[in-house]
Amino acid sequence: MRVVSAALVALILLLPLGLSDYRAYQLALYFLYAAAATGIGLCWGRAGFLPLGQAMFFGLAAYLAGLTLIWLGDSIWVFVLLPLAAATAGLLAYGIGLLVFRRQGESGPYFSMITLALSLLAFQLATSWNDVTGGFNGLKGIPGLPGLDDFSAAYYVSATALLIVLSLGAWLYAAPVGVLWRALAQNERRVALFGFNTNALKAVAFGVSGLFAGIGGAIYAPQQGLVTPQVAGFGLSADLVIWAAVGGRFGLLGPTLGVLLVGALTTELRDRIGFWEVLMAGFFILVVLAFPRGLIGVIAPLVRWLEGWQRTRPAVPAPPRRGATEPAQLTLSDVSAEIGEVKILDHLSLRIAGPGIFCIIGPNGAGKTSTFNLLTGELAPRGGCVLLDDAEITGLPPHRIIARGVGRKFQIPTIFTDLTVAENLCIALWSCRAAGIELLMPRLKRWTSPMLDELVRRYPFLAAGRRRAAELSHGQRQVLELAMALLTEPRLLLLDEPCAGLSPEETASVIDLIRWAGRKLQIAIVVIEHDMTLVKELAETIYVLQNGALLAQGDIDTIRANADVRAVYVGGEK
Amino acid sequence: MDPLIVTQALNVVYGVTTLALLVLGLAVIFGLLGVLNIAHGEFIMTGAYCAYVTQANGWPFLAALPLALIICGALGFVVERGLIRPLYARPFDTLVATWGLSLLLRKLTEAIFGMGFYNVDVPLPGTVALLGTDYPAYRLVLIAISGAVLIGLFVWFRISRTGTRIKAMVGNRELAEAVGLPVRRLATYTFVIGTCLAGLAGVLIAPLVPVQPFMGLDYVLKTFFVLVVGGLGTVMGVLSGAAVIGGLDSVVSAAIDATYGYLTVLVVAILFLWLKPRGLFARS
Amino acid sequence: MSPPRLTFAGVVGGYGTAAVVREVSGQVAPGEVLCVLGRNGTGKTTLMKLLMGYLPCWQGSVQLDGTAIEALATPARHALGISYCPQERPVFDDLSVRDNLTLMRPDRDLAPFADYFARFPILARRLEQHAGTLSGGEKKLLSLTRGLAEGQPVILLDEPSEGVQWENILHMAALIEERKAAGTALIVVEQNLAFAERIADHYLVMDQGRTVLVGPRGEIDRARLLVHLQV
Repeated sequence: MRVVSAALVALILLLPLGLSDYRAYQLALYFLYAAAATGIGLCWGRAGFLPLGQAMFFGLAAYLAGLTLIWLGDSIWVFVLLPLAAATAGLLAYGIGLLVFRRQGESGPYFSMITLALSLLAFQLATSWNDVTGGFNGLKGIPGLPGLDDFSAAYYVSATALLIVLSLGAWLYAAPVGVLWRALAQNERRVALFGFNTNALKAVAFGVSGLFAGIGGAIYAPQQGLVTPQVAGFGLSADLVIWAAVGGRFGLLGPTLGVLLVGALTTELRDRIGFWEVLMAGFFILVVLAFPRGLIGVIAPLVRWLEGWQRTRPAVPAPPRRGATEPAQLTLSDVSAEIGEVKILDHLSLRIAGPGIFCIIGPNGAGKTSTFNLLTGELAPRGGCVLLDDAEITGLPPHRIIARGVGRKFQIPTIFTDLTVAENLCIALWSCRAAGIELLMPRLKRWTSPMLDELVRRYPFLAAGRRRAAELSHGQRQVLELAMALLTEPRLLLLDEPCAGLSPEETASVIDLIRWAGRKLQIAIVVIEHDMTLVKELAETIYVLQNGALLAQGDIDTIRANADVRAVYVGGEK
Repeated sequence: MDPLIVTQALNVVYGVTTLALLVLGLAVIFGLLGVLNIAHGEFIMTGAYCAYVTQANGWPFLAALPLALIICGALGFVVERGLIRPLYARPFDTLVATWGLSLLLRKLTEAIFGMGFYNVDVPLPGTVALLGTDYPAYRLVLIAISGAVLIGLFVWFRISRTGTRIKAMVGNRELAEAVGLPVRRLATYTFVIGTCLAGLAGVLIAPLVPVQPFMGLDYVLKTFFVLVVGGLGTVMGVLSGAAVIGGLDSVVSAAIDATYGYLTVLVVAILFLWLKPRGLFARS
Repeated sequence: MSPPRLTFAGVVGGYGTAAVVREVSGQVAPGEVLCVLGRNGTGKTTLMKLLMGYLPCWQGSVQLDGTAIEALATPARHALGISYCPQERPVFDDLSVRDNLTLMRPDRDLAPFADYFARFPILARRLEQHAGTLSGGEKKLLSLTRGLAEGQPVILLDEPSEGVQWENILHMAALIEERKAAGTALIVVEQNLAFAERIADHYLVMDQGRTVLVGPRGEIDRARLLVHLQV
């Protein structure tokens, strides 16, 4: 990465020597757009949601900067207030993100449509609020930055702004928060079940993208001397998305590449080739559908090769998990739940007192997985309550419940296949151990724990950090998912068919691991399992569910002797 | 009755019914197939340009209808096969793809017809005396056509075999495949119905608005807002959404001015998107 | 003995990376019922989905009358003569009972269903009601009626008796017997052993995605089945 960065900085600094003033001035403008496009790459390529109205933040900062400059002229204060203009755009984006994501939780089309509608609102305000914005004709006669208004100075101001944006981006992409963004783009629910507040993470991503756009906008005003509603308009928003996509939204430099290449070519060719913009639109569709990595994807292998030179740095012990550590006492009393009109849980009551291993069995639709969903806060009960120790957890959002010491493994492995094995393990280690500002420290990627050492000893493939999780076999995925659940060192561990699809040898080693973990951590482990041989091997107590209620509980012999249980499994003649 | 009030009331009725007409295509494509077709507005635009081309060639206005149906239908067919089919059940990718499509259609229109706007002559220029006021005849015809299309589509969907099959496909795709329903063809068919309806609406609206490449943007948002406010998949949804959005727009525009009407619609729609994204009458 | 109508050999498949069905083989001849038994989670429904084409076969072959069909999509398999009644979401909830039955019949005629209505009068009484308002068991009756009345040479039934009263299960058995007599080949996934014992000609018992017991009904007694069915 260092080599690439150094080459890039050198290129940007030396470039104006070979360019005419006009070209340098144009390039300066594209650098500002590139700053905004980088923000789109961050949201769309990393965090997995697409803002369609990014010009709104660019325009807001441009108007604020323009007003400031008109008001203060060449006072030195503008150098304080212009960054504030950019920050305001970032804060607005963060606020919008927080409100929308908290309410909806989703990052699909509706979020995009909200940003689109908001940007149209902004455009309309910019057009109609004549007194402040100058209306349709815009803010005119904005003075340049004091002492920096010749062409080459303008170039270097823009270049510095872009380099600041890219450095910030590089840092965030390398930090834990960057890993979490990529993880939640792939499976948001899973990230929440590692105890992270995904809505806040997404709002931060949107806020940063607003800040990047704001940095571009704040410098746009003094350089162009004119800010019209078009700067906040739909056209620029659309162009930014195209540039980010064509350049490559997944990499940090992709959007910049897209802006410089597509933007520059457009300026050159728009008038010469009549259908140029049609070609670009078609090219955009093609890139999105067939080459989602964009142009930067072509040179990505080179970058990866350069990354291979990175030194490995010593591991750092992870701090202990936050919160209580004693085994969980779980009580469900009289819990009912429905999905649509179907009754899923019907006055279910049961008590699980850790430590120990407990199995839940029952026919299809008995409510086994639903019980797990209930325990992790993903299924809201209609009645009854759930107590963890003596505190009620009914109605808490998943990440808060996880923070109280609940861990979960899904039936079908839900590891983050786009991430490396090491990043998967890191997410589990950060769970309930890191929060807030700590997630900005790349150092956390070097965390390790005694549990991790033991897991690597048992399964050496876990040490192959750079390998993408998508390359793992099914058995390895099951093990990785289980390892991630164990790394969080929960007090209550929920395992949904941990051995599904495993060979007999793999099954034996997973069973051994579960029993070892049960002994070592002294926690409550609840396993949903169909295979009765495994149930027999694992469980001290078995709970049989049927039709959303508890049918029987006890050790294996009690269950086998129970006439009701036999009837459920063989069917009756009534 | 005060003629001014009658005129304003008729304006509201006109606003709501034409909006409902504009929504129908998206209601079919988004409401039934679950495809958020951001290019819906550009299909309306295509219809409007068909009306302009018809006029420019000196053909009668009505000739624009078959022209729009053929062009929008063919376009819809190609788009469904080439772009949408691989993306069903991937709402986010559909959004991006149709967003690209909308750009493509808009840029194509710009390249062919230029950035400027055209006017299409009103085919029925006179006014009709109604409840003590003179109201433009074409607007009245448009209200009647909108109502007829809305009711016709509703009845067709309720009683026709194809309507029932579409309902089956939408409700339970796996079972539909198991009973031998040609699901993929039916989806294409449904999509084409949607784009044809958009083209039809575009032709009918063309004499009343400036025909220009960016016109689709306003329509896609307005129609999307209607569905968000009303809720997906029900006729009540389309009607209530059109009543809220179209009604607000007309009333506020009449009371203050058009800019405030537009702002009010945007604010209300953002509030719905944010707070009640399933709308007033969502299909369960 | 007539040649098998539907044959599957060494079928492997599942979800994502997880193989749920592992090298399962079986066959069913015209006029016979193959009952697939096993505890839940052993891969029975997945096997049905592999046979019907909802999930791709990772390995193995499926043949209908000697023609390989494992690469065909679901509608094509239906067109070749396989009817399917799924375990979950067995009917179109948004459609009336009548539309559920006549959806694919050009004449919308209810006459072919007279026999079924005689046994399940509830369906005749609720013709105009949305199928979504039926109980789980009633939906199964509607689904079975729809599937059997398609009159195709092969029928796959996934847990037809789930939630159905015993009295109606007996009616189901009788209707299945009628189809058998007409030469239909059926594969039936079942949890209810008493029902399976009434209709089966052959058993295929699965555990952990594999075949653990297979053979004609006469050669496998209840005790041997119970080993694999009970907890």
